[in-house]
Amino acid sequence: MSERILELYIGPQHPGSGHMRFHIKVDGDIIVEAQPNIGYVHRAVEKIAETKKYIQIIPLVERPSLADTANPNLCYILALEKLLGVEPPERASYLRVLLAEMNRIHSHFYGIGILGIMLGSSTAFMWGFADREILIDLCQLLTGARITYSYIIPGGVRRDMPKSFVERALKALRYIEKRLKDYDNLFIENPVTKARLEGVGVLKKKDAIRLGVVGPNLRASGVRYDVRKNTPYCVYDKLDFDMVVLKEGDSYARLRARVLEIKESIKIIRQILKEIPEGPILAENYYKMIPPKWKDYYSSTGILKFPAIFARLKPSPGEAVARVEGGRGEFFFYVISDGTDKPYRLRMVSPSYRNVILFSHLLKGHRIADIPAIYGSLDYFPPGADR
Amino acid sequence: MSVSELIRWIVSLLLKPYVFAPIFFPGIATAFILILLLIWLERKIAAKVQLRYGPLYVSKRFGGILQLVADLLRYLFQEPIIPKNADKIVFILGPILLFGTAYIPTALIPVSGSFVPFRSEVSLLVVIALLSISPLFDLVIGWASNNKFSLIGGLREGYIIVSYEIPLFISTIAIAMLYGTLDLVEIAGQNKWGVLLNPIAALVFLIVTYMSTARFPFEIAEAESEIVMGPYTEYSGILYGLTMGASYVKMYVLSLLFTILFLGGWNPVFWPFTLHPILPGLIMLAKALVVMVIGIFLRAVYPRYRIDHALSIGWKLLLTLSFLAVCYSLLITYLQVVVWV
Repeated sequence: MSERILELYIGPQHPGSGHMRFHIKVDGDIIVEAQPNIGYVHRAVEKIAETKKYIQIIPLVERPSLADTANPNLCYILALEKLLGVEPPERASYLRVLLAEMNRIHSHFYGIGILGIMLGSSTAFMWGFADREILIDLCQLLTGARITYSYIIPGGVRRDMPKSFVERALKALRYIEKRLKDYDNLFIENPVTKARLEGVGVLKKKDAIRLGVVGPNLRASGVRYDVRKNTPYCVYDKLDFDMVVLKEGDSYARLRARVLEIKESIKIIRQILKEIPEGPILAENYYKMIPPKWKDYYSSTGILKFPAIFARLKPSPGEAVARVEGGRGEFFFYVISDGTDKPYRLRMVSPSYRNVILFSHLLKGHRIADIPAIYGSLDYFPPGADR
Repeated sequence: MSVSELIRWIVSLLLKPYVFAPIFFPGIATAFILILLLIWLERKIAAKVQLRYGPLYVSKRFGGILQLVADLLRYLFQEPIIPKNADKIVFILGPILLFGTAYIPTALIPVSGSFVPFRSEVSLLVVIALLSISPLFDLVIGWASNNKFSLIGGLREGYIIVSYEIPLFISTIAIAMLYGTLDLVEIAGQNKWGVLLNPIAALVFLIVTYMSTARFPFEIAEAESEIVMGPYTEYSGILYGLTMGASYVKMYVLSLLFTILFLGGWNPVFWPFTLHPILPGLIMLAKALVVMVIGIFLRAVYPRYRIDHALSIGWKLLLTLSFLAVCYSLLITYLQVVVWV
């Protein structure tokens, strides 16, 4: 009997594996056992954080989850602000949500593109990556950076919205909405895509809860859990949007959940552009520490220079947690301060880390060809999981 | 014998059908140029759909058409790495035979009524028989590479071969019944459009053309995100180039055959093409090119099927349809007999 089983090592040098390895045992074409082998891109973010000052950790926590960088940034800052006891002004909260939602769209396009190339649809891949560029341009207009923004700082944000932003953003959103119809026609409603994804990798509601899955993967299995709704942060409680919940729990539902979430994010961004209040973008007690010369610079350009205190932020001893709904799922940060200018401990739980268990659960009983289909539909990102 | 006579003799020899057809047109030279052109077109068309430029920088003025020549040169001068544990002789011979046997049928396919290198009463059957040789080398390659992904790819190819060869043969028989002959020259000479005579057989033949040449959505044996490159995983250099070219050559052959069987071959022949017996071949090439371009365009449209989907399409859909095509042909023939006699 044991001779029937063929062992396959898929990755880390395999076009469909990403930065990880699957240890797969197949009987003919059917997978009998699948073990994800992670850690190939482990960067010791948590340990490095213990050697860095609080402000230096912002770029550090962004790095692991490319495409979705604003959300770990936001989550870390929310935890840090609890320790520091500062509240951001309302305009800054709106700007934070604006960037987070643009990032979510960008991250979902990235995910759809990767799923496309894994199924062999190079068109979906190229489209996803091209349309992601629209959002990147918008983010660049807002923050000055393309991917790793480091935009959200303790007590506020780094830059104010430029004047031309609203107009350009609305134009971009109209374009994205138009493009989503093309995606429907060519990729999502494509009979081959449906044949590949429908009924493949079904995650039952019960299992999704038991395994601690997060993000669109959880909601596609019919679980109503979205941090933005369940424990609202920033200004999400003031915004009107729906939680995308689908029943089926298969790969196709996970793909559709992402597309529907893009539409919800567009709705959120439209509201923010309309409702965003005027006002400061940095908490008053930090703003007053900025020298007058740089205050003038801010009022003429909208770009903040950091007050000197950021170099030696010393939160009072204690611990804080924060959770945020990222593009791929829930981010969780736990920061312990011992009163010095470096954290005693930083715990970063990323959505991909929570979702990696699904590989050994979902792949069993499927065919080799379903590995990329399921992998892509989970929007799993190895560097995000390894951290 | 003077030099001019010698040259004239060589030219006349080269223009003999049995030399010209296999070597120049529609044989290896045309096939070779077409591969380069088709891969370039494939990348250009896909790029157009996908909002990019595609190949551009090699000969920028001509839209990067020389990109494939550059790629070919790179393949030629790249070291072909032979894995330590591979079956060396088979590993090297595999791609050569794969490519060679894929191109052999071009020598038997007539491109004009009077310029025929090989004429036989059963030339259609010979072409179909020759066509079925080359895919076997995919299996051989998959086995010889001594790589698990190659093995899986080779086996997938094997499953697909048996699921398309039978519908291919039956649909060919269905249309041949309507022509009443198995001679390709005679079939094309009848100037009937097979696609109108028996659309079911045409559909089956077209799908099989794309299925057997690994066009999307049937690019299953070398599915990159699943099994790296299927049977060709271990290949590099010109040996890899041959494996890649083989499927295009096969598509070329099947498209020529499709043109003869279903698109009226080289007909209609009009003035500039009556000047030399080889010229009607250009009409046929143009028709075949349309069939091929549709095939390569599918890359931009479809993801790939899973192996079990492809097999069920082969065995359930195509086989049933090909039998239906035979019944349809029988019915037509019967009606013709009843009406005319």
